[in-house]
Amino acid sequence: MAEDKKETERIARCAMCADMCKYTCPTYLATGRETLSPQKMARLIVYNEKGFLEDEEGCLDLMFQSAMCGACSRHCIYDDYDLRKFIHKARVKAFDSGVIPEDVKKRVETFRKFGNPDGERELIDKGAGEYGYFISCSSYKDKDLLKATEKMLSKSGLAIRRFGGGDMCCGAPLYYAGDTEGFRHASLKMKAEIETRQVRRIVVDCPTCVKMMTEIYREIGVELDVEIVHTVQLIEALLKQGGLGLKREKRTVTFHDPCILSYDLAMFSIPREIITALGFNLKEPVYSAEHTHCCGATYGAKIGDHRLKDAVTSMRLNELRNTAADIYVTACPTCKSVLSEINMKYITELVAERIIAKR
Amino acid sequence: MKVKTYLSQKGVLPRGFIEGVRRIIGDEHCSQQEGDLISYSLDYWLYGVFLSQKGELPALPSAVISPASTAQIQEIVRCAGKYKVPITPFGGGSGVLGGAIPLNGSVVLNLQRMNRFLNLDEFSLVAEFEAGVMGANLELELSHRGYSAGNIPQSLYCSTLGGWISTRAAGQFSTKYGKIEDMVLGMEVVLPDGNLLNIKPVPRRSVGPSLKDLFLGGEGALGIVTRATVSIHPLPKLTIKQAFIFPSIEAAVDVVRQILRAEARPAVVRIFDEAESERYFPKIGRKVTTIFISEGETEYASLDARVIRRISRQNGGKSSGEEPVDIWLQKRFDIGLGPVLMQYGGIVDTIEVSALFKDAANVYRDMVSGMRAVEGVLEVSGHYSHFYREGACLYVTFAGISKDPLRYYQDTWDAAMQATLQNNGSISHHHGVGFWRMQYIEQELGASGVRVLKSIKNALDPEGILNRGKLVDGGRQERD
Repeated sequence: MAEDKKETERIARCAMCADMCKYTCPTYLATGRETLSPQKMARLIVYNEKGFLEDEEGCLDLMFQSAMCGACSRHCIYDDYDLRKFIHKARVKAFDSGVIPEDVKKRVETFRKFGNPDGERELIDKGAGEYGYFISCSSYKDKDLLKATEKMLSKSGLAIRRFGGGDMCCGAPLYYAGDTEGFRHASLKMKAEIETRQVRRIVVDCPTCVKMMTEIYREIGVELDVEIVHTVQLIEALLKQGGLGLKREKRTVTFHDPCILSYDLAMFSIPREIITALGFNLKEPVYSAEHTHCCGATYGAKIGDHRLKDAVTSMRLNELRNTAADIYVTACPTCKSVLSEINMKYITELVAERIIAKR
Repeated sequence: MKVKTYLSQKGVLPRGFIEGVRRIIGDEHCSQQEGDLISYSLDYWLYGVFLSQKGELPALPSAVISPASTAQIQEIVRCAGKYKVPITPFGGGSGVLGGAIPLNGSVVLNLQRMNRFLNLDEFSLVAEFEAGVMGANLELELSHRGYSAGNIPQSLYCSTLGGWISTRAAGQFSTKYGKIEDMVLGMEVVLPDGNLLNIKPVPRRSVGPSLKDLFLGGEGALGIVTRATVSIHPLPKLTIKQAFIFPSIEAAVDVVRQILRAEARPAVVRIFDEAESERYFPKIGRKVTTIFISEGETEYASLDARVIRRISRQNGGKSSGEEPVDIWLQKRFDIGLGPVLMQYGGIVDTIEVSALFKDAANVYRDMVSGMRAVEGVLEVSGHYSHFYREGACLYVTFAGISKDPLRYYQDTWDAAMQATLQNNGSISHHHGVGFWRMQYIEQELGASGVRVLKSIKNALDPEGILNRGKLVDGGRQERD
């Protein structure tokens, strides 16, 4: 009860702030719509809870127009506050009341049928070892990334079990849809899949999977008895240990910081150290590292509301194009796919291209 | 709609107007959805923010219109003129005097889609932006290229270039880089009849009175600023931070006067009274603390800091090192206490005035004592900032709690304004007028001044289309 009161106070003061974080909010910036700014979203959530709104459905619909990227939380003047928790609660309310947007509904239905957001897939489970490489839904679709990963892993000398596809998914699409029960079920299934494979450490390409399997699973009481690391951490370790022999390179690279990697996992420097270690020259966009902007598809931007998603994507593409770099690189398979217009690569591909036989 | 409005009611728009606007900008950019109306109902007028937690809002717009170009704004303004629909321009919504509250059933003209960085001329040191660009984004774009416009208000992260111009704003580094009127060289303005006024960017001109000055503080009532060219500075090569403790406010103000007289131009000078010093710098406690930041080319910044050090020491200043400056730099955007106090029923606000050096200490003493005498007061504290060779801005923060919050708010403002006017000060240094300060404007400008301003307004906007009920329109607003 006391915790509930504290939570209510937290969002109420956000609703009375001067919107000091909106300059960093991608949906607000891409649309210029005050209503999507964090403080206004907070005010609408508070008003809805207090019964001040006539159009509750309209308010709940707005909650699906957040990118859920965490820029506001990262730049919040208050410690220990994350507006996304409240937007998520509102999404749960929308889900429970059956008023989620159509495209979200379709995604949930697909998930229920196939155990993943994309439909029928082949199950991948090969190799053995105490390391696991979990093929996220977004990596599964990316043959170039999977090929590069295979090349890098084989050169690394590590024994790694690769698994994913089929009905294996961290459950993020259900979490962002507000489907509490579905997400809980998905998280328990994921836990069982991991336990079956008896790995000690799991490497994941997708920052959202990392966030789910660590922070969000823990919030709902699902603890994984394995260490979850992002791919950039593995690459960093391999480079430090001299596990990879690399060719030198002088072209310029712009790194697009995936929002979750930046805002939730605070991994700004690792990808840059990797790129520099490969010999590339970094060209930073105006909005990078802790000022990065979401690509528009963090499973949150109304999941398929194309006008909003496209506006955010187009803004990010323009920001990145302005660097006129030779190569664009990221560390999230979803970002790579969404920003494909500029021939975006996943960082593993950059590493794989530079690998040479170790002496 | 279950929210309550207390200043004015939402209007009913002529069908021809809505259809016209939708033809101009498309359906999706002309909204009458509840969420949008609520989001554009209020800026950062703090009494309004206080009431907003109870679902009480000053006014709801009749629609929210979000154009993407100057040409669209021209057409919208003409359409509004045809149907006599008032328009409230809305930038970042960070104004603290209610300048962006959509009074009189007006529609909101949201400028936030117009946020592009248009042009950089490194040779002439100017940059052009659309007016809806957020201050922080403007600075991020410039700093990435090695420059700054130098306007760093506390609202940097939530205010727009157009808002800065329309309120005649000033930033924390203003003593060196100037105020917005010193920075803006040119601008594009949509006039109330829909025609365009282009004021080209030049360092200065002598072609009659300065037209751009009509809109620097025009509060969106005389025209809608759509883009502007600002002067920029290379990022400083050296920054020197210093802090000194002085025995009194009077002593500190006098030291800064001497420093500026000696031609030093620190970017930041702030004199905190005992209460603010204790709040910012608990280790120093209730003493008068003054901080300085000198920056720029290495030689100039070093010299600047040396002059400050010498004059401060000669006048009994005790050095406090760099730490207070670092603490201030860290805390300067933290407005977090206000909302917390409001949650517990407290009223919070700030008032900024200006005065010549000869009056500066008296304004402070009388303002603070007058405001402290109001029933319900919890705290009144102040600092001087934005210095000139001739005087300074005094910025007072107050908090109180009362069974009649509006009475407390009104009485505190009255006390502050009275103390300022009695000591030859100006009722506002950089927050502007909005609607709340209109009640004091005649005492500031005199009947003739108000007549001149009204004549200008009437000549440019005879139908009162733009930001009706602000700057010079109407009179004292009473709550229903």
